[in-house]
Amino acid sequence: MSGASLLPRRRAPLLRQVLRACEARRMWPLYLIFVTFTLLALFAPWIAPYPPAEQDLFARLKPPGTAGSEGIYWLGTDELGRDLLSRIIHGARVSMMVASLSVVVSLVTGTAIGLAAGYFRGPLEVVLMRLVDIILSIPAILLAIIAVAVLGPGLQNLVIVLGFTRWPRYARVAYGQTLGIANTPYVAAARFIGLPWWRILLRHVLPNIIAPLIVVATLEFGLMIIWEAGLSFLGLGVQPPLPSWGAILSTGRNYMGSAWWIATLTGACLFLLVLSVNMIGDFLRDRFDPHSIRR
Amino acid sequence: MNSFLAKRLGQTVLSVWGVITIVFVILQLSGDPTLLMVPEGATQEEIDILRRQLGFDRPMIVQYGDYLWKLARLDMGVSLVQNIPVIDIIAPRVGYTLYLAFAALLVAFGIGLPVGIYIGVFRHSALARALTAVVLVGQSMPTFWSGILLIMVFAVSWEILPSSGAEDPSSIILPAITLGALSMATVARITRTAIIEELGKEYVRASKARGLSFAAVIRRHVMRNASIPLITIAALELSNLLAGAVIVETVFAWPGLGLLAIQSIEARDFPVVQVLVLLGSVVYIGLNLLADILYSVVDPRIKLQGGRP
Amino acid sequence: MLRKLWLTLHALVLAVGGLGVGAALASSDVLVIDLVNEPATLDPHKQWNPDSYYVYRNIYDNLVTRNTAGEIMPQIATSWKVIDDTTVEFKIRTDVKFHDGTPLTAEDVVFSIKRITDPEFKSPQLGQFNSIVDAVATAPDTVVVKTGKPYPPLLAQLVKLSIVSKAYTERVGDEELNLKPMGSGPYKFVEWQKGVKVVLEANNEYWRGKPPFARAEFRAVKDAATRIADLRTGKADLVVALNSDNAAEIEGSSKLKVLSAPTERVAYLMMNTQFGPLTDVKLRRAVAYGLDRQLIIDALLGGYARKIDVLLTPAHFGYVEGVKTYPYDPEKARALVAEAGYPDGVSVELVTAPVFDQRIVQAIQQQLSKVGITVEISMSDMSTFLKRRRADPEGFGDMVFGRWSCACQDADGVLYAMFHSGSVWSKYANPELDKHLEAARSAMDPQVRLKHYRLAHEIIADQVPSIPLYQAAAIYGARKELQWTPTANESLFLMDMSWQE
Repeated sequence: MSGASLLPRRRAPLLRQVLRACEARRMWPLYLIFVTFTLLALFAPWIAPYPPAEQDLFARLKPPGTAGSEGIYWLGTDELGRDLLSRIIHGARVSMMVASLSVVVSLVTGTAIGLAAGYFRGPLEVVLMRLVDIILSIPAILLAIIAVAVLGPGLQNLVIVLGFTRWPRYARVAYGQTLGIANTPYVAAARFIGLPWWRILLRHVLPNIIAPLIVVATLEFGLMIIWEAGLSFLGLGVQPPLPSWGAILSTGRNYMGSAWWIATLTGACLFLLVLSVNMIGDFLRDRFDPHSIRR
Repeated sequence: MNSFLAKRLGQTVLSVWGVITIVFVILQLSGDPTLLMVPEGATQEEIDILRRQLGFDRPMIVQYGDYLWKLARLDMGVSLVQNIPVIDIIAPRVGYTLYLAFAALLVAFGIGLPVGIYIGVFRHSALARALTAVVLVGQSMPTFWSGILLIMVFAVSWEILPSSGAEDPSSIILPAITLGALSMATVARITRTAIIEELGKEYVRASKARGLSFAAVIRRHVMRNASIPLITIAALELSNLLAGAVIVETVFAWPGLGLLAIQSIEARDFPVVQVLVLLGSVVYIGLNLLADILYSVVDPRIKLQGGRP
Repeated sequence: MLRKLWLTLHALVLAVGGLGVGAALASSDVLVIDLVNEPATLDPHKQWNPDSYYVYRNIYDNLVTRNTAGEIMPQIATSWKVIDDTTVEFKIRTDVKFHDGTPLTAEDVVFSIKRITDPEFKSPQLGQFNSIVDAVATAPDTVVVKTGKPYPPLLAQLVKLSIVSKAYTERVGDEELNLKPMGSGPYKFVEWQKGVKVVLEANNEYWRGKPPFARAEFRAVKDAATRIADLRTGKADLVVALNSDNAAEIEGSSKLKVLSAPTERVAYLMMNTQFGPLTDVKLRRAVAYGLDRQLIIDALLGGYARKIDVLLTPAHFGYVEGVKTYPYDPEKARALVAEAGYPDGVSVELVTAPVFDQRIVQAIQQQLSKVGITVEISMSDMSTFLKRRRADPEGFGDMVFGRWSCACQDADGVLYAMFHSGSVWSKYANPELDKHLEAARSAMDPQVRLKHYRLAHEIIADQVPSIPLYQAAAIYGARKELQWTPTANESLFLMDMSWQE
């Protein structure tokens, strides 16, 4: 960066970056997978052939292709006679909702805190970053389990718990990036002119730091889907009869011998989605933040 | 260097204290274990008697003070469920979890390293892209699922490995693979990044000009320079693995601290949970400190105030 | 270098381990059992925890026991005589020796009783034995037990009292007794690898006869899927806590079999009669009519469970038949819901915990939704569940699905706690019912007790504070060669097992 330019090295506007990311041909299959699942999730109530909670105790554990009362059970039924295909579709909705909401919560919270700490410095910085360190150092999964034990399980609490155990990751990145930007002459000048801090943060700092945060958010999205599954396995996930992939997968595990399709098909969907998200995140990271070592 | 260490130590103590307090408060909010310990149908009187005996009827501040005081004297307390000192419950199990974590690290490096090298060198080949997807598999499946799959295939169907427990020497294999898969991708990625960086440097071209074969260049120079971030990553991934061990231990009935953690939380065995969380935090903080020291030793340019690349 | 060292170490361990495994396999006289959790403690007076007494029931003998038909039989006590309403005299065996060779005398029995009733000892089981106010050894083979008030379930409760050695306990202290238990039972304690397994070996001088296996190992495997895998790979010979779907997985196998027995666990749907919409008896009756219990039993429980119409099982004293029952009638249910003032339906909260069969919870939810009752499930972990279970009516939720066992096979242990207005577990207050429960508790004559219990059951059936769903069965998986008839009190008595010739 030569001294002649006072402006920070601004990365291209977000939109252009997104478009450039879209151009990468080899990523198209992955984008497709992700978009497909998103559409499934969004339009679940209209796409799914059966209501996901509709039980038929006489049609338990039927293999894929069995005929049912309202059409074929394309993917078979589960232990209470519910159509697996419908449950997987609705499960996509629930799992992705949990993941995206918690990512949003932690992204917003973490970014705000990181921005504040990196911009205002001083005692605020010390306190906030100490808090970040403390929360980061509690074994994450234990914190989640204990928190759910306190709050009780359920969709809402799950999002809260996941959101509030993960924000330090974003805060760290936001903080580091803000430190880099906030000390440039450009921002100093803006401060000197008398621009209000929120204007500076929103218009000048934030757009420059958002890219690595998006990378983290993408990778966290995949992680949150897996965590939701893990918490369901421990009995702390969403409440029945709400289907989430985690819930279906963890009960389906017990039927591997008699009804392998329950766990296997759901597991395959979860795997596909998370794999594609991870690969997309990897790709984004290469583009925008290649030197990051901490996840 | 000394003031750096002193400062970090101070921060560490503060962090640890913060952890203890947060966990204590959350556990208190989650309710006491008295109800879990009495037979069904116990009367209110009996429940109250037990609560009083266990000290749960005291105000939270008093219990907190008592807890800190005991901790300062290194008294970890007595398990509410097993009635023996917490130390005696944790000590025999630490080894198992460490063994699992290190074995998993071995697996992660054993596969991640060669893959990372290949991807770093042959960046754009189709195989490289395929391998990237392969190592990401471990991070794309919940461990309780991959675990049971492995058990079904290797233990039940092919009968070559034990299905649970830690009795046979070979019982480490499946849990280590399941857990190690979590870190494979990270190791591969770091290796690849480091290799790509190194390959761009002058000395590589110079060595090749001198007539050194590509393989020799990799072996002799690149690997040595790339190993530094890898060591740091090992430290950090270790703490990740310790966290991931919780579910893996549950699936494989591996008698380590992770399984203990789940059982103790369910049973509201506060003393045990508090010590476990404390242990986990101290290890995490310690490993981070180690990583930071390694970094600063390697690259003095990095400010030791907590600045990170 | 480090790597080489590691590999060599591994090779050595493998070699030695291989030899060990070989040796172990040679003597198939080891019975390996997979439990869900490891025992909390092996001190028989301390814990109230099935995983613990699966193990220590084989190390210790009890004063009396039950046979497979559920009748109370002598064990350490050979006979007993009722002296008066509050005094019972026991004659005990004189040929029993503890594992260290010392004889078991009346002093040890007295010591055991006093230990478990000592408030300083803080036994969680105190409530089951605190009707005993004194115990005296009047002769080396005679113990006189006094209760404060007439207490008919005394013998039923004494089935759970294990006899420890006074000399040993006083010598080593409570903590040691927990870690190194010593009793007079068929199996001696060898070692407890915390978190891994508990190992017992046969006591060949056992007074009842020679134990069937040379060694027994109890492992803890939390995950049901893994327990089944262990059974299939031969790692375990017997596994506990399977549900009917797990059982279906084993049934097809030629090497394994399913063992099951109805237990004294009653699955119930208890309703909050003191707060919320279910204060209205019409609505409660609607719930009763709206549940297809037989379908649940047949479809979900694989027919292992049994239908019951009262909140007891045939294994309980106080079980009666012929009480009013509610057949499945969704039409009637819907009508009652409307009658109760909810023509558009009503919403209720059902509280449960993961340990209870969630398929049943969901089936209940589904069935009730068809008759206009929307059920919202509130699942929390066991600790929070218990907290809500005994909370005030406002915090209780509307319905609770649970399974109750008092391990005493006596109606008092179930009905009194569940329905007496003074009990924290009860959300029902009916002075008429209270009278009967109290009368049954203090009458020594079984006929009188039965009369009162029948009247109590009729009140319960009419007012429906709780609906009996089914009598739960315990399902175990085992190798085909294991001969064993499980009992209603869910004990793993190794003495009752053997290998098929």
